[in-house]
Amino acid sequence: MASRTRKGSRLRMYFRMLSGSLIRRASRLVIAVLAIAIGATILSGLVTIYYDIPEQLGREFRSYGANLIVLPRGEAKITRETLRALRELVGEGRIVGLAPYRYQTVKINEQPYIIAGTDLEEARNNSPFWYIEGSWGDSQDTSQVLVGHEIAGTLGLKLGDTFTVQGVKYGESAEASRQDLSAEENQKRDLARQNFHTKLTVRGIVSTGGAEEGFIFADIDMLDDLIGDTFRADVIECSIAANAAELSELSAEIERIIPELQPRAVRRLTQSQDIVLGKLQALVLLVTVVVLIITMISVYTTMTAMVAERRREIALKKALGAENKLVMSELLGEGVMLGFTGGALGVFLGFEFALRVSLNVFGRGINFQWALIPATIAVFIIITVAASIIPVRRVMDIHPAIVLKGE
Amino acid sequence: MFWRMITKTLVRQKSKMMMIAFTVVLGVSLSTAMMNVMLGVGDKVNRELKVYGANITVRHKDAALMSDLYGLEGRGVNDKFLHEEDVLKLKSIFWGFNILDFAPILEGRAMMGSADVAVIGTWPEKHAVLPTGEELDTGLKSLRRWWEVSGEWLNEGGNDGVMIGHLLASENGIKAGDTITLTAGGRAMTFRVAGIFNDGGSSDSKILMTLPAAQELLGLHGRVSSIEVSALTTPDNDLARKAAQDPRSLSPDEYETWYCTAYVSAICHQIQEVIRDGVAKPVRQVAESEGTILSKTTLLMILITILSSIGSALAISNLITASVIERSQELGLLKALGAYNWQIVLLVLAEVMITGIAGGVIGYFMGIGFAQIIGQTVFGSYIEIARMVILIVAVILFFVTVIGSIPAIRYLMALKPTEVLHGK
Repeated sequence: MASRTRKGSRLRMYFRMLSGSLIRRASRLVIAVLAIAIGATILSGLVTIYYDIPEQLGREFRSYGANLIVLPRGEAKITRETLRALRELVGEGRIVGLAPYRYQTVKINEQPYIIAGTDLEEARNNSPFWYIEGSWGDSQDTSQVLVGHEIAGTLGLKLGDTFTVQGVKYGESAEASRQDLSAEENQKRDLARQNFHTKLTVRGIVSTGGAEEGFIFADIDMLDDLIGDTFRADVIECSIAANAAELSELSAEIERIIPELQPRAVRRLTQSQDIVLGKLQALVLLVTVVVLIITMISVYTTMTAMVAERRREIALKKALGAENKLVMSELLGEGVMLGFTGGALGVFLGFEFALRVSLNVFGRGINFQWALIPATIAVFIIITVAASIIPVRRVMDIHPAIVLKGE
Repeated sequence: MFWRMITKTLVRQKSKMMMIAFTVVLGVSLSTAMMNVMLGVGDKVNRELKVYGANITVRHKDAALMSDLYGLEGRGVNDKFLHEEDVLKLKSIFWGFNILDFAPILEGRAMMGSADVAVIGTWPEKHAVLPTGEELDTGLKSLRRWWEVSGEWLNEGGNDGVMIGHLLASENGIKAGDTITLTAGGRAMTFRVAGIFNDGGSSDSKILMTLPAAQELLGLHGRVSSIEVSALTTPDNDLARKAAQDPRSLSPDEYETWYCTAYVSAICHQIQEVIRDGVAKPVRQVAESEGTILSKTTLLMILITILSSIGSALAISNLITASVIERSQELGLLKALGAYNWQIVLLVLAEVMITGIAGGVIGYFMGIGFAQIIGQTVFGSYIEIARMVILIVAVILFFVTVIGSIPAIRYLMALKPTEVLHGK
């Protein structure tokens, strides 16, 4: 019974000494907590960014455009059901853009051109690199279309101009102009039932530096109506957030589940993305490692410097009869408290920092690794405890009198 | 007397000053490394992005893209050509140094047995000596790094060799090592298949051969249909966009800025000046996306650099405050002996500055070391050392030490010698 009271009072005394030493040295304490918090901010912030980089940067690489081209197998066309099945199979979360294309030859001023019918919004997601003079069309006003730069140049079209397209309806065959008929009669024949003709307005002019400049882009439903056919796509362009391995896995799955489709990964984009993304990831990893090592050392030295100052205090305690063990446990307790406070403060600052970086650089939120909270706090408790105990151990063996005398 | 006191402190307080110096070394090396990496990363990543291939194509001004569209590559549709002897002039433009790789392309059609196939003639791996005496290696091989080739790549002198796209090869059952005969315009030529390539794009059903062989086969000596160019460029800004519309709309000052910056539009403009009848166009898919990736990476590195610099600045400043406060006894004694406040402040500042400079110099060189380790490991090349980093780091370090000393100095001002000396 008596020993228990003694033990209790000893414990009380221990906490009193601990809190006393913490409160008395308030200014130093602030400094210590600050040092630890800075370290913890850098640790949690950088590690969070490092974990999120592959996904975030991977999405940026989608600005190169579609990385998976899906073709119908054989002569068949792609129906709306197949398109929907494909969309479901890939999964909404991974799709950056998924645009069906239908190509149709039409005549403008009796010259052949190709209209590409597509879902303009998806095409826009797919190809953020297109430079559009004017604006992208939408599904509201479908008579407004995008015209390739090349065609605009040949036909002398400017924004807002209208032009007439003519052609043969789906499933009908064209009748060649006959030389023995006059021009008017030929024209009349072109306006017959099996043919279509309509007026379109230029809403935007597309420059890409590639083959797209020679197409007219229109809404696919409008095109279907015009040629009197149901939805049939020649090709689907997909932009999917995935690396080369994931894409080939996905391709195999598409071929297995939707056998009428034939997916082809665009090697140029998938291979190159893996190479470049790998480098960037290695860069961020290395930078993180270097920064962390230096920060940890820096926190450690700051703590060491602060504890080393307390030689006199420790010596006094020893002179008053404190055992080494007691002094050590006090330092340990202080270390744990400092490490915990600073670490916890830093974790949240670090998350805040990572979130800001992500919003600024990628315009998206970030996934926090919640396991980082205990990990960071533990790391900094270990650093502070180590920094508190190692320098003091050397002092322990010194005779109190020598230290107190002022040496 | 002042200097004697400083030297004495530095010697006597060796361990404490060492500690400050050490923290400064760490902080400065971190900032130096990060800033150098940050400034160099744009160039490095830009080079890495060259795996995506050409970002500029040059064609004859009248040769539209129509042939791509209709597959109507007969004569008469696509009969406008560039001159092969102009190709090497690319390296002579103002931004010639930024042109990393280029290859001329001659496209045409030939009959393989009864099938009509597309053939491409190019420089696979060209070694050329420029009129300036400069030597260079270029060619299509470095513009098609994503190709998967079974067999061998064409070599430059191998005019009797071809490479076949894997779709065409599998349709016709052709393997590497086979021989094929191509005919065009009454000329028949026999080639050995060096390799089968997988492009994952439209080239998979084409036949690739050397430029001289293609010119011979198609009867188009000294002609090329287009040139693919891979150039290091600066991401576009408003000026570049304005210039891309019409360079003549710029004021003379703007024009000069634009012309002397490696914008893709400026490089295109300069290419058109040397290639007769050529129109150079940026391949927006590559050029634009490069800009996006580059600016994101650079921004990311800037933010990480700022974080780590702030971190090390605070750490240094923190330690200085701590170490000055610890010396209150000694400084209290000085005050008791009649020293003025400003004298003590000067003394403290001088000590800290000397320590800081010593640590800063060591840290700077360590930082360069770290930057090179990063450059070598990630990109396999040295990161160029930016002189401006010295200045930035020096200025930051100066303010950090001064600011770190401020709480300590305020503390010293309020110090009552008796209290401190009594031991409180």
